Amino acid sequence: MAQAQRPSSANIRDFESATVVSELIQIAEYITHMRDEIAALRANEMTRDRIPMAHEELGSVLAATAGATNRIMAAAESILSLPDGAEHRPVLEEHIGTIFEACAFQDITGQRISKVVDALQSFEQRLDRFIGAVRARDAAISDPVERARRERASELMLNGPQAEEIATTQDDIDALFA
Amino acid sequence: MALDLSMPILVVDDYQTMVRIIRNLLKQLGFEEVDDASDGTAALARMKGRKYGLVISDWNMEPMTGYELLRHVRADESLRTTPFIMVTAESKTENVIAAKKAGVNNYIVKPFNAATLKSKIEAVCGS
Repeated sequence: MAQAQRPSSANIRDFESATVVSELIQIAEYITHMRDEIAALRANEMTRDRIPMAHEELGSVLAATAGATNRIMAAAESILSLPDGAEHRPVLEEHIGTIFEACAFQDITGQRISKVVDALQSFEQRLDRFIGAVRARDAAISDPVERARRERASELMLNGPQAEEIATTQDDIDALFA
Repeated sequence: MALDLSMPILVVDDYQTMVRIIRNLLKQLGFEEVDDASDGTAALARMKGRKYGLVISDWNMEPMTGYELLRHVRADESLRTTPFIMVTAESKTENVIAAKKAGVNNYIVKPFNAATLKSKIEAVCGS
C-alpha cells in the first residue's frame, strides 16, 4: 500500500520536465513580448532621426535668438548715440525698422520649438508604454560624471530658472533685504 | 541718493548679451567705468588688479559660480568690503537666503528692468 502511494522516480521526472517546459514557454512568451515592446519604442528612429532633429532645431533657435538680440541691441545702442535734432529722424526710423525686422525671429523659432515639443511628446508616450510593459524601476546613477554633476549642482544650488508660479518674486526678495 | 558715478563696476556673467545689457543700463545711469568677466575665477583675477566700487554677478557660471565668487570675496581680507549684488535667474528662496548668509548686499532676479537695477545700486552704494 505504502509503495503504491509513493511517486515513482519516472513520475517525478515527468512532473519536473513539465514544470521546466512550462517555465521555458513563459520565458519565451515574455521575451517575445519584450521584443515587441522594444520594437514599439522605435529606439533607432529616435536616435537616428528625432533626437538629431531636436538638437538641430534647438541649435537654430539659439542662433536665431542670439542673432536677433544682437541686431536689436546694436540698433538700440545706435539710437542712444544719436545726437539731438530732428534731422536725425530718418536714421532713427531706419534703426527702428531694423528692430521690427529682428523681432520676426519669434515666428520662426516658435515653429521650430513646436517641432521639438511634438518629438518630446512622442518620446514620452513611447517611454511610458515601455516602462509599463517592463515594470521598470530606476537604478541608482552609476555614471560618475553624471553623479558628480548632480552633486555639484546640489551643493552650489544651481537650480536654474523656476516656473513663474513657484519662483520667489522680486518683492519677496526685497522683503528679505529690508 | 548720491551715487559716485566714477566708481569702477565689475559685471560678471558668462552670457555676453547679459553683460551688454547691464553695461548699457549702467551707461544710462551714468556709470562709465565698467569692466566685465565671464566667471568667478576671471572676476577674482580682475579684482586682484583693480579696486571695484561694486560687483554685479550672475550665479550660474562655469567653472566658478557667482555664489563661490561671493564666498571667496567675503573670505578675502582685501576684498571683503566690496559691495556685491547678485543678478540671476536663480529664484528659489534657498538661493536668496544662502546668498544673504554669504554676505551679498542685494539680489535681483532676471528678467529685471533698469529701475530695479538702479534702486538696488542706490540701496547698496548710495551715500
